[in-house]
Amino acid sequence: MKIGITKFPGTNNEQDVTRVLNFLNVENELLYPRDYKKLKDYDALILAGGFSYGDYLRAGVVAARTNLIDELHDFIISEKFVLGICNGFQMLCEANYLPGVLTTNTSTKFISKWVDIKVNKTNSPLLKGLESKVMRIPIAHYEGNYYNTEESIKQLNDDSQIAFQYCNEKKEVDSLSNPNGSIANIAGIVNNKGNVLGVMPHPERASFSYLGSIDGRSIFENLIEELRC
Amino acid sequence: MYSGKAKDVQIYENNKVKLIFRDSISAFDGEKKDFLQGKGEVNCRMSAKLFEILNEYGIHTHYHSMIDNNTLICDKVEIIPVEVICRNVTAGSFCRRYGVAKGLDLLPPVIEFFYKDDELHDPLVTQEVAIQLEWMTKKEAMLMRAVTRAVNNILVELFDMISLQLVDFKLEFGRTHDGRIIVADEISGDSMRLWDKETGEVKDKDRYRKDMGDVVQHYNDVYDNLSKLSKLPELSLSTKAQVIVKLKQTVLDPAGEVTLRSLNRMNYQEIDNIKLGKHVFVNCLTAPSSELLKDLSDMSEKLFSNPLIEDYSIDLWFEEER
Repeated sequence: MKIGITKFPGTNNEQDVTRVLNFLNVENELLYPRDYKKLKDYDALILAGGFSYGDYLRAGVVAARTNLIDELHDFIISEKFVLGICNGFQMLCEANYLPGVLTTNTSTKFISKWVDIKVNKTNSPLLKGLESKVMRIPIAHYEGNYYNTEESIKQLNDDSQIAFQYCNEKKEVDSLSNPNGSIANIAGIVNNKGNVLGVMPHPERASFSYLGSIDGRSIFENLIEELRC
Repeated sequence: MYSGKAKDVQIYENNKVKLIFRDSISAFDGEKKDFLQGKGEVNCRMSAKLFEILNEYGIHTHYHSMIDNNTLICDKVEIIPVEVICRNVTAGSFCRRYGVAKGLDLLPPVIEFFYKDDELHDPLVTQEVAIQLEWMTKKEAMLMRAVTRAVNNILVELFDMISLQLVDFKLEFGRTHDGRIIVADEISGDSMRLWDKETGEVKDKDRYRKDMGDVVQHYNDVYDNLSKLSKLPELSLSTKAQVIVKLKQTVLDPAGEVTLRSLNRMNYQEIDNIKLGKHVFVNCLTAPSSELLKDLSDMSEKLFSNPLIEDYSIDLWFEEER
């Protein structure tokens, strides 16, 4: 069993993800865009965050037009797991593997801070056992403002695809807890089959107690458990 | 199918037509008419020659082949009823209309639109009116301008090689069954003004208009000299395009909001909306064409903009590199 972690020019979170996977004793490897043909060797792919290709034009769009992300189409069809974190989530949206788009924070500021997110009930095995829990987790982004049309938001809600929402300590999804202006406080989305998950906050930075939280680790643990069974 | 003042159009196979050049010639909206032996053939040959040359430079035309002395096989098109005139030097109706002397250089060259209607005497028409009256679309006008400038660039250099000055010329455009805009009709001594660079001698239809005589002989002269050319002018045509990407009105633009507040603080109070967009300048290494415009739309939809939150507009033009 092997998990690939993408490394695009300008991304900088792949080492953090590697550290978590090493800690969980799972074989993993960095995957560079030029090595897209190796994608089929992996059982799951994690799109690590950062600022791929300088985030020129729109966050994640240049990466989303590479062969590697094109190849991801068949990988996703074959129901393998894909986890997009931060810039990885932006890539998945720009490539249309997940609905919506992430635009500039309403504050027009880069936001780096700890937030609480509520895990909703979805059909994704990656969130098994986490439903209605609150995760303490950091965000670090300039374009984290999730946007989609009203009809699409309703559809996502009806289809239980809204995986995470920014909330307060009391699990209330309110506007005060919304750090970036995301519609419906959306912090993460899952595709309708449940094998593609995109999340703006960084679960890999909430995976060790010395970092201040281990809430994010369970997503990786779920992934590994799914791959093992 | 259709019979014009100097040509007939007949249906041919596979969305093509036969363009048959007759020996008739006319001027002043058909008030002056004549029959000149050999004029059909020389215009047919000249058009074939010039269309072939334009094709070499990537200009998309209706021309396919010449099947006999008077007949071209061309794409079947719906002719856009607006002619494009490009002028490098003042002459003809331009001088009469604006009261300027003949022979003045126009740099950059001037583009004019005329509505094709004999009864109205082919009046000059503004782009705004032609679009309003649905004679052409905004996109067609943009393409017709760009293609005409590119054709002018090629023809000026080409005729310079045989010591002729391209004073002005007319182009017509057509819409193909698959929605492309291409150069149509003819390009010949009937549709341009050519002056000898040394002597100023007139080599075009003004010989007929002004009863100067030897019309066909001079047309043949130009054609023969063009045919003797062993190579074409070295030109690397490029088309400029500008894509403007704007956030949709319904999408919040935080940067625009901040900019608006800054303007308000600077005491510009009577402004209530600012949208910041992106500007993408594209230098394309091909001549302007509807295919290029289609490519630019694809680029805009797939990369420059995200259709969920942004709209785009494309501006395309050709700049003479002289």
